[in-house]
Amino acid sequence: MTIQGVLTILMYALAPFLWLIVVGVSLLAAIQLVARLRGYKALYYRCLGANLAALSVGLSGLWWIPFFTHSRLAYVATTFDWVALVGAMFGLTIAAWLVLHPLSYLLRGNRKQLPTTKLKLS
Amino acid sequence: MTRPLEPLRLDRRQLLKLGLGAGVAGLLPLGSLQASTLSTTARVVILGGGAAGMAMANRLSRRLDGARISLVEPREIHHYQPGWTLVASGVWKPEKTMRPNARFVPGGVDWVRQPAAGIDASNRRVKLGDGSSLDYDYLVVATGLQLNYHLIDGMSPELVGTHGIGSVYASIDGATRTREAIDAWIAQGSGKGLFTAAPTPVKCAGAPLKMTFTTLSRLEATGHRDDYQVEFLAPAAGLFSQPWVNDFVKQRFDDQGVTRRHHYRLSAIDPGGRQAEFTFVGPDSEFTSHHELREAEFSQEGERTVIADYDFIHVVPPMSAPDFVKASDLIAQDGPFRGEWLDVDIHTLQHNRYPEVFGIGDVIGAPINKTAASVKAQAPVVEANLLAQIQNQPLRARHNGYTSCPMITGIGKAMLVEFGYDNNLDFLPSFPFIDPRDESWVAWTMKDRMLQPAYYAVLEGQA
Repeated sequence: MTIQGVLTILMYALAPFLWLIVVGVSLLAAIQLVARLRGYKALYYRCLGANLAALSVGLSGLWWIPFFTHSRLAYVATTFDWVALVGAMFGLTIAAWLVLHPLSYLLRGNRKQLPTTKLKLS
Repeated sequence: MTRPLEPLRLDRRQLLKLGLGAGVAGLLPLGSLQASTLSTTARVVILGGGAAGMAMANRLSRRLDGARISLVEPREIHHYQPGWTLVASGVWKPEKTMRPNARFVPGGVDWVRQPAAGIDASNRRVKLGDGSSLDYDYLVVATGLQLNYHLIDGMSPELVGTHGIGSVYASIDGATRTREAIDAWIAQGSGKGLFTAAPTPVKCAGAPLKMTFTTLSRLEATGHRDDYQVEFLAPAAGLFSQPWVNDFVKQRFDDQGVTRRHHYRLSAIDPGGRQAEFTFVGPDSEFTSHHELREAEFSQEGERTVIADYDFIHVVPPMSAPDFVKASDLIAQDGPFRGEWLDVDIHTLQHNRYPEVFGIGDVIGAPINKTAASVKAQAPVVEANLLAQIQNQPLRARHNGYTSCPMITGIGKAMLVEFGYDNNLDFLPSFPFIDPRDESWVAWTMKDRMLQPAYYAVLEGQA
């Protein structure tokens, strides 16, 4: 299959969800941008709640990813099924974390941000 | 004195570039790098704008420079037929399967919005529905097939959706009405459902089985499965051409309480009385594409028949090449496909007697291969061999019989069954990590989400 063929398939596959992808990416980019303008640094800000929330969103994929495909978790049976589902959940967790972590920073302020200077000294 | 080779040192950026380049190169097949256009003034007529015809229109328009390509297709809407089982099962909305044909017809191709009415192979001429004609130098027959509901006494496609009759093959409306008929049967709370198979080769040979499996899913979901009787009546001992899958389906039917009755074909139906007549065709009539059942044999006298009551019946009509193809000299003259299917070499897809004619898709006389997946495999073969024929070169491209059936074994799970002609229809898996023998969520997801995009890429000649 040519690259153009792969792109054609992807285009048709993603077309029904294009609005959702655009909204999601825009939201992610906007929150990241605003948070970074206000001093957010992903590695220096700690928020257990945001981490757990992102993990919960990822784990929720166990239910709704099969549901989204008109199936159910009981039919996730083969090794590759699980690899695919866990991969999708992992991606979901990362995406959720990229939104929730800076969002938490914006909502809570930078109280939990580790002092950069202290970190540099150590 | 030779200088010792210095170790290759790449910085991270160079390494990334190299990796990206290798990745891109890996995705490019050799054929696409070598593809070039051929200058010709030949008149090429493509009969049919379904999956096969549209794929050929796109491929040939890219490869033939100066050719006059005509696509004969009267319909404005392109139907994604592999999705009809999902519509009839209540999983998809019917709108999901429809796109305008105009989206796929390539520029430079003359779209003739007329039905074909005849083929004069000796004079290289196609007759059209409005009485006009098209002359050709090369012809690609991609008409699809014809549903012969009339060979079942009392049956017509208009009955689908009424009197407990369903038939996923009839049309997109028929698939929708089939879902409604199944809904009505389930709402009834009990009763008998009959699922049938045809005594001829059919398109998507897995569809009758898929309809049974998805309906079983729905019956089981009611929590009152035991209140419903389900029977599957097949004209032969087999249910599916691929041997392993055939055994699997039989076993699964037994496990799920489906009563199998073999060697019966649906011969008549009484919609008002909700009764179906089945004729015993005997153990010699194997359900393979090599059957020699002729139309006359559908009405033999003195056959043993049984009458069955039903609350729901899924009708699978006998199928053949369209009448105007059957009436032409292009139809097979002898062998297992005589009088019913296009006479082509199943490997080169060139007509056996008219070298300027090629066949692709459901219309060809081949032991398997009436699926969209087959078209995906056949289209590059027809493209290469037609170009070779134009240049008077030997036909080197060969079709291995590849076909695929995402065998839905329940709503939400499927097996990605891919096989070809060789080694007794042995499996030809595209993905080493997906075992065709496993029921899997990924195979279902491919059917539900990915195969339709891949199908449209095939139409555009991109896959």
